[in-house]
Amino acid sequence: MNAFKAVPDTGSQAEQQAWADLNLQSERLKPLHIAELFNADPQRFSGFSVGHGPLLLDYSKQRLDALALEKLFALADACDLQGWTKKLFSTQAVNNTEDRAAMHWALRTPVDDVQYESCSDVLEGVQEQLDKMADMVDKIHSGQWRGMTGEAITDVVNIGVGGSDLGPLMVSRALNDFTLKRSRSLGIHFASSMDGSQMAQLLKQLRPQNTLFIVSSKSFSTVDTLYNANTALAWLERSLGKCAGVLHCHFIGVSSKPEKMSEWGIHRENQLQIWDWVGGRYSLWSCIGLPIALRIGIKGFRRLLAGAHLMDNHFRNAPWSSNIPVLMALIGVWNTNCLGINAQAILPYDGRLEKLPAYLEQLEMESNGKSVNRDGEPVQLHTCPVLWGEVGPNAQHAFYQLLHQGTEVVTCDFIAPALRYHEAMHSEDSLELVRQHELALANCLAQSRLLALGEAALEGEGELPHYKRYRGNQPSSTLLMKELSPFSLGAMLAAYEHKVFAQAVIWGINPFDQWGVEMGKKIATETLGVIRQEQEPEFPLDSSTLGLIDFINAQ
Amino acid sequence: MQIDLYGDTLPALVTAACMASTGHDVVLRMPQGRIRQQVIANKTAYSEPGLRRLISTEHTEGRLVYGDFDGLPGPDSRAVFLALDTDEAPQAEVVVDRLAAVAARRWLVVNQSPFAVGSTEELDKRLKSGEADNQSAVVALPDFLQEGTALAGMQRPPQIILGCSDGYSELLVKEIFRPFNRDRDHFLVMTPREAEFTKLAITGMLVTRISFMNDMANLADSLGIDVENVRQGVAADPRIGPTYLYPGVGFGGPGFSTNVINLVDTLDATGVGSTLLNQVIEINERQKEYLFRKLWQHYRTDLKGRTVAIWGAAFKPDTGRIDNAPIIRMLDALWAQGAKVRVHDPEALPALLERYGHHPGLHYASHPYAAAEGADALIVLTQWRAYWSPDMDRLAAIMRQKVLLDGRNIYDPSVVREHGFTYYGVGR
Repeated sequence: MNAFKAVPDTGSQAEQQAWADLNLQSERLKPLHIAELFNADPQRFSGFSVGHGPLLLDYSKQRLDALALEKLFALADACDLQGWTKKLFSTQAVNNTEDRAAMHWALRTPVDDVQYESCSDVLEGVQEQLDKMADMVDKIHSGQWRGMTGEAITDVVNIGVGGSDLGPLMVSRALNDFTLKRSRSLGIHFASSMDGSQMAQLLKQLRPQNTLFIVSSKSFSTVDTLYNANTALAWLERSLGKCAGVLHCHFIGVSSKPEKMSEWGIHRENQLQIWDWVGGRYSLWSCIGLPIALRIGIKGFRRLLAGAHLMDNHFRNAPWSSNIPVLMALIGVWNTNCLGINAQAILPYDGRLEKLPAYLEQLEMESNGKSVNRDGEPVQLHTCPVLWGEVGPNAQHAFYQLLHQGTEVVTCDFIAPALRYHEAMHSEDSLELVRQHELALANCLAQSRLLALGEAALEGEGELPHYKRYRGNQPSSTLLMKELSPFSLGAMLAAYEHKVFAQAVIWGINPFDQWGVEMGKKIATETLGVIRQEQEPEFPLDSSTLGLIDFINAQ
Repeated sequence: MQIDLYGDTLPALVTAACMASTGHDVVLRMPQGRIRQQVIANKTAYSEPGLRRLISTEHTEGRLVYGDFDGLPGPDSRAVFLALDTDEAPQAEVVVDRLAAVAARRWLVVNQSPFAVGSTEELDKRLKSGEADNQSAVVALPDFLQEGTALAGMQRPPQIILGCSDGYSELLVKEIFRPFNRDRDHFLVMTPREAEFTKLAITGMLVTRISFMNDMANLADSLGIDVENVRQGVAADPRIGPTYLYPGVGFGGPGFSTNVINLVDTLDATGVGSTLLNQVIEINERQKEYLFRKLWQHYRTDLKGRTVAIWGAAFKPDTGRIDNAPIIRMLDALWAQGAKVRVHDPEALPALLERYGHHPGLHYASHPYAAAEGADALIVLTQWRAYWSPDMDRLAAIMRQKVLLDGRNIYDPSVVREHGFTYYGVGR
């Protein structure tokens, strides 16, 4: 069991000192209200905001000041964040429990980048697969990818779950405005749920002759995905007959296990490869991102990679005080470990980012939802908080009540593009839509202001009854981008990835494994046998499970 | 009468030559380019039967002379014709603006170009330069030219649709066309907008018949019925009649598809949109790949390294044009699958060469049998006369695989099969 401590007794002398210093800072700052911080420093924004490329991070509404920040930087130094960052950007096995590197950065590094001469063979392999994917995208976009009957493919279904679903789904929704003209009529669908809900719906709408399936699974052994793929294959074979052509014309596979793809029946030509060192939740930059490339074209996909690469370089090279991912990470550590805040809301003020909360839930909680450090000992500090979120304006009508007047302290990330609807494609209705975007921005700024300042934001309201009061002091960061584009989205997502890594370094945990999700899969297999009444459980089941199975089987 | 005609389209040349042949003095004002060079050099610009000879005769007689596209009609010119391409509306505006700039002159402009509905009225406004008392006029005279029989169509028109709203212009146009309007009055006069729309509606009706029959052919295909027998039965009904009922691999040609698309564009622009015509076009585009699908299935979804012979590139016989012809989609489809193509066409190879140049996947065959040499399949896309009765034994001997795909249903399937061929037709 974890014994949580304000100052851990593990780690180096410097680390323990840094935690002790931070403790003093938090004692000093805890009683202060954010409104007081703003009153004390009228220029607070300029000191507590930083921009890079298309992004601006405003953290002035966080409950810290320059001195606390200085101590956080000292903590980063004490934890050797610099050294760990170097390790990340190398071929070293930073994922120690699986003995693998975590080189998602290589997926977006140009082949000729001199910083990475030592791993040029990796970069070449990446480009080779990207080029192969580009050919496929072109063939589909030009209407020359043929189904078994020779008809052109009009609909693509991505079958995958977790990282093979959330990333591609979130980005293709977010960048829908960047749909290529020639791919406008191409339907792109996603099927992930193991119970077949999405599959059942899709198969009703689609024609087998025109439908292509992408089976996306790093291990190519994910049950959810393989069940969906088998359902798709059976559906095709019912209309088109059982023959090799069905597999050849209607399935693309993306995996790090070519032999397993072949075994399942994916034609060699239709196999796209990823590598062991691509973590599932870091894989949208690889050929797992095929649905994204099908939406925005391969040029758009390369812009997405370029944005992420910009952030990679920023993270590697910028000093802590202007380093967006590091600041995001340290603020998170401050909130979790110094202020004891265990909840974080992700609030995009742009409907196109509706899947971003789900994506970040996986990225942060699957990466840093750990309680054992790299040496296998229980950690003494809290790690990843509970994350959830929703498109901001909609969430205002849902859980903002709790944020404003509930008993829980919650930290929020507000995310929004400054510009929207200025593209030519929106020209006809642009005026009205621009007004709508302005309204959303106004709400974004108003909500974060009220959450931070509380009644201090409401001048002239006079004395309010208790049920109308706003205590404020809920900290938040606001991440603005110039506009939502492949480039800016790439930069933002990479910033979150590096934030997660930097936090893992501070907490001393491995963010790249996910052992917590393995055992459930295993005992589900056994439970399946019991539900189907094909086998007896190896060990007696608990009474709850037995009772539930009885109910199911009695129906 | 002295007439000036702007344009280098097939209708431009046909109108100019036919009018000159009845005694009009015609100045043909073609823009710079290949067509102009060919015409002036007395060479074939369009492979339209009889056209080159008629132009040559009229030029020798002095009734047809060539002028500059940028030049103004002379002082005695009574009418100005515009016979430009669909996408040349800006050039038409330039010509009209130039005319409008001449002071105190009453112009009659006859617009034959297949622009979007409403264009003639727009040009009319430009010509009048906003002066209410300006008596100049632009009238619409849509062409109903059929390639292959264009001269006969002009000289003995079934009808002449004139879009015109003033009496003086109407009389003048009728006077110009008097020699072609002898046996009875072929003129139907309506507003310019109605005339333009009529032209589009006629084209739309014809292509709808074709797409309907192609749709029937696809159904026949899956029901094991020979659509050829069905076609004859349908054609025998006097309410329907035999024309434009032939199933095939899709219609093409500059007149046909651009006009259809144009109609769709016109309707779309007003926010109405014709669901029927969109379907018609979609069926037609699918139909162009009909034989590709047959071949794809025949070779079990793998055409890599196959050699395919194609007879006929022109969108129909007796023309050298490949605009929107099925071969374009066919080549793209075959190349995308890694097949090589050997193509023969009596007249359209230059057009093909102009479009594709020396493409590694394309061999230009000088002879039908040269195209078939070593081929894994022979596809007939255009029903040129010379393809109707090939030497089947010779084909069987020189082809690598005996597969014949008949895109125009011109062969007797049983005869072809007797020679050991696998035969695929359209809906049979």
